[in-house]
Amino acid sequence: MAKWGMVIDLDKCTGCQACTTACAMENNTLPGESWQDVLYYHEGTYPSAQMKWLPRPCMQCENPSCVHVCPTRATYKDMDAGGIVFVDWDKCIGCKYCMIACPYGVRFYADEKPLLEPDLREIFPSSNGQLWSPPYQNPEQDWKRGIGIQPPGVVSKCTFCYHKVSKAPAGTVDLDEDIAEVKEYVPACVRTCPPKARFFGDLDQPTSQVNQLIGDKHGVRLKDHTGNKPQVYYLGAGAGVPAFEPKPRS
Amino acid sequence: MNVFQTLMSRRRFLKTSAAAGATGAAVAGAGGLTGFAPARQAHAQASRGQTVVTKNICAQCPARCGIDVYTTNGRVHAIYGDTGNPIANGKLCPKGHLGTYFLYDADRFKGPMKRTNPRKGRNEDPGFVPISWDEALDTVAARLNDLRDRGESHRFAHFYGRGWGASDAGLYGDWGKLYGTPNSAIGHASMCAEGSKRAKQMTDGNDSYNSYDYRNTNYILNFGASFLEAFRPYNYLMQVWGHMRSKSPKTRVTTIDVRMNPTMAASDRALYIKPGTDGAMALAIAHVLLTEGLWDREFVGDFREPDMRFRTGQRIPPFSFDEKWVHGLTEWWNEELKDRTPEWAESVTTISARDIVRVAREFGTTRPAMAIMERGPTAHTNGTYNGMAIHALNALVGCLFAEGGMFYQMGTPYGGLPVNADDYLDEWAKDGDWKKHPRIDKARTPEWPMTSHMMQEAGPNHLKGDPYKLDTAMFFYTNPIWTAPNPQVWEEALKDVFVIDTSPFPGETAMYADIVLPDHTYLERLQDSPTYPFEGWPMAAIRVPAVDPIYDTKHFGDTLIEIGKRIKGPMGEYYKAIDNVENVLRHRAKGFEANPGDNGVNSFETWKEKGVWFKKPYHWRQFRGEFFEWDGRGYNTPMTPEDVKAKLIKTPSGKFEFKSGRLEQNAAYIEREVGIPAARAGLIQWVEPKHSGEGDLYFVTPKTPLHAEGRSGNIPHAIANQQPIVGGRNTVYLEIHPDTARARNIRNGDKVRIKSNLGTIEAYCRYMPAHRPDTLVMPMEHGHWAQGRWAQGRLPGHSGELTANVSDPISGLACYYTGKVTVERA
Repeated sequence: MAKWGMVIDLDKCTGCQACTTACAMENNTLPGESWQDVLYYHEGTYPSAQMKWLPRPCMQCENPSCVHVCPTRATYKDMDAGGIVFVDWDKCIGCKYCMIACPYGVRFYADEKPLLEPDLREIFPSSNGQLWSPPYQNPEQDWKRGIGIQPPGVVSKCTFCYHKVSKAPAGTVDLDEDIAEVKEYVPACVRTCPPKARFFGDLDQPTSQVNQLIGDKHGVRLKDHTGNKPQVYYLGAGAGVPAFEPKPRS
Repeated sequence: MNVFQTLMSRRRFLKTSAAAGATGAAVAGAGGLTGFAPARQAHAQASRGQTVVTKNICAQCPARCGIDVYTTNGRVHAIYGDTGNPIANGKLCPKGHLGTYFLYDADRFKGPMKRTNPRKGRNEDPGFVPISWDEALDTVAARLNDLRDRGESHRFAHFYGRGWGASDAGLYGDWGKLYGTPNSAIGHASMCAEGSKRAKQMTDGNDSYNSYDYRNTNYILNFGASFLEAFRPYNYLMQVWGHMRSKSPKTRVTTIDVRMNPTMAASDRALYIKPGTDGAMALAIAHVLLTEGLWDREFVGDFREPDMRFRTGQRIPPFSFDEKWVHGLTEWWNEELKDRTPEWAESVTTISARDIVRVAREFGTTRPAMAIMERGPTAHTNGTYNGMAIHALNALVGCLFAEGGMFYQMGTPYGGLPVNADDYLDEWAKDGDWKKHPRIDKARTPEWPMTSHMMQEAGPNHLKGDPYKLDTAMFFYTNPIWTAPNPQVWEEALKDVFVIDTSPFPGETAMYADIVLPDHTYLERLQDSPTYPFEGWPMAAIRVPAVDPIYDTKHFGDTLIEIGKRIKGPMGEYYKAIDNVENVLRHRAKGFEANPGDNGVNSFETWKEKGVWFKKPYHWRQFRGEFFEWDGRGYNTPMTPEDVKAKLIKTPSGKFEFKSGRLEQNAAYIEREVGIPAARAGLIQWVEPKHSGEGDLYFVTPKTPLHAEGRSGNIPHAIANQQPIVGGRNTVYLEIHPDTARARNIRNGDKVRIKSNLGTIEAYCRYMPAHRPDTLVMPMEHGHWAQGRWAQGRLPGHSGELTANVSDPISGLACYYTGKVTVERA
């Protein structure tokens, strides 16, 4: 079995958020439930200021702290699925321990006050146990792996678009959208990335494109000191999150 | 207002509930989502139905990205970039994926309607009631027939914004000719980006945006083009950004802008400029290129004597410089450029002379290099001269028509229509009194002699009754009652006009409509779309409906044709022969039979299958100062100066003009309106901008990457993800430098009032130390008083309400970025 990994080249990323909206529509997440997100920072002062951004999917850690804390084993790392970390919505009790344990803030609990009103859940109400039912819902679903639209009261997260990735022909090493035969199996955020800042493939294969890029461009893992060992690597300048500073009030 | 819950006829009700959508899902109950049983085990891996992929074109900005629309069991559920489309290349920007929202928009108009409340205003409920298409079209046709019978056909106007192609806006010309109105159609170009087009027309003779060879350029000098936010085609620009920034050698980028933004942040050098002064910066760069001998001698020419130099402040003798493909260099230097030093420019632009020299040396020593611009420098009263100064840099480094440079766009070889409108003109159409009337916006009259459209003038002109009062106006893809500068005037002006709106969405102009003839959304349309200038070679994409129309709507082109059929006399016969949009497109596609595209498209059917026709390469190339034409195998046919003038550099001199012949033809107008002595009118020169608004702070209102034309204010995921320069979700903020804020006792996060002499709007502010202290930044997005449940009433207010209706006298471009405001705590 492959070990799926993602590489994000920050020297090419333009911060456009196509990854974020592609993910939102592919996975039918609610506004604010951004399984894939882009974080923006600015530092310094005119005329020498800088502005930075960091695209952030789930890191699908090799040693995921979310899995360690889950009391019902609802969240689990599936080595038969390339090492992707899933939430089994049939087991999740919505305790949110995993959200606190995750060092990357990439787990979501959408069954609360909406980010945006009017509430989409009321406009597209569900009649089948889902949190909501937009008319544009992706027909793919698998609640054992947190794919589809979740029921109320559970945690949701990025699945590396397992409903796509899992259909790639056995032995696929590089899931590259520019290879016509595998385009449909590439995760949404990778497939759409206009400057091609994202790459996806098998970290267990030394010849894979992702490993080549990690080797050539000195790939790093975010917050590696936590020991979580993400399966997402960053290339280029700016792969860091500035320390938190409260907003100046006056 | 209850317009969002429009009453439905029984027929429409049935159609709606069968077709899903918000109402459908709710009404149909458990059956609303076919394929899912309520039992829990059904949520295990479901087998999906048959998925169909149709070709379409995104409609959320002018880029025209080809999209693959995924439909399963009659529901559209995904949109991805079309791999076979040369703009999209399988990719999309953040807007593109949200297209399904347009189709399933809960606030869409669901069929034709008429107004029952005669009063019009922001707070008036139009009282729309559903009517049949026959009643709607008959009502409009009766009105237009009556107007024509009274000899007042000029008082009917079409207004349009985003025209797509031959099957919609392409029908306007014949319509106006047959019906007898000069106002078919008033386009929105003067509220868009006419400044750059006019700057290019005055210098190289092409009234057009450029095509660009970004892939092969090594240096981009970017003046206020939001390359990584809103410059067209954004999606492709990001693709090529990824290429430029990782190729060998890496393309170096310097960005000059009035605010921090993603393009500034991602560039190698970011220079903040005082708003409206880009022309001064460009002139100083040109000064350095000449004094340091960095100009391209093969394109520009050289001194006759080897020891001659351009020296700051010193004139050069007449006839001492042999011009090759440029005109007026000696006069330009002697009368303007010799004194435009970096030190002078520093005093105007606030960019240090040191930085200007650095940029000029880099730009002058890296080839190929190009200087690009758009609305930032040109949406000011001095916009055309600013744009000309920037474009002059392209001539000086010889990138015009060169590899890695910029050129123009070839047209699509469409087939003809089945009938010729000229054969259907009656006496009124041929010689009626309507021909004595100017357009309502007075474009191309002595008032605005160099403009093509002046939509922002139409409302105020109607109000004044000068040149006349409109009777009936029909709007397509434009919403001037909200988007025009100082739209408050339009709110007054359109009260006594019979308004026909064709948007699928309940916009502000629709709230003034007497009759609503809603268009399909783009995923339901059969519609062509030739490209805007892209890479030069011709291309035309096509929309194929992904699903049958969900509601009782009609393609705008078919609406226009159906009204035409109902006009008395030969005009009606003409439209009966045209018949419908599909017929138009079938005839247009016949042109591909003799010109099969590179992807094999040679018919209407193959066009629909592939979604796009295109044929590479661009046919002309400048190589080291010589021009060549494509001969089928290579750029092998040398071109004479006459060829170049006819096909490429279409100026009076046939050369790039630093002294513009076209401006000289309008010297008296320029002297009167701009204050430049007539003898100097043609020179590319520094002109002080005139700022409106009477405030002390510049106010810029950029478009973010998520700004979908006319609709992002009502798209939940767009609202939630507006690129948040200063953080936050759910809205955009007034971004203010902390020093500027503190001096006014404004705290971070405060609600503030922004004022100009025209009005006041409110916003929440965020401190942004990365902006200029003299410039406020607020993305143009919210402040709608219609448009739907998410848009309506969302802060911040609308920047247009603070923006004076002031235009560049040459291009006519509305000066959206030239107003100054004050800000205070609310």
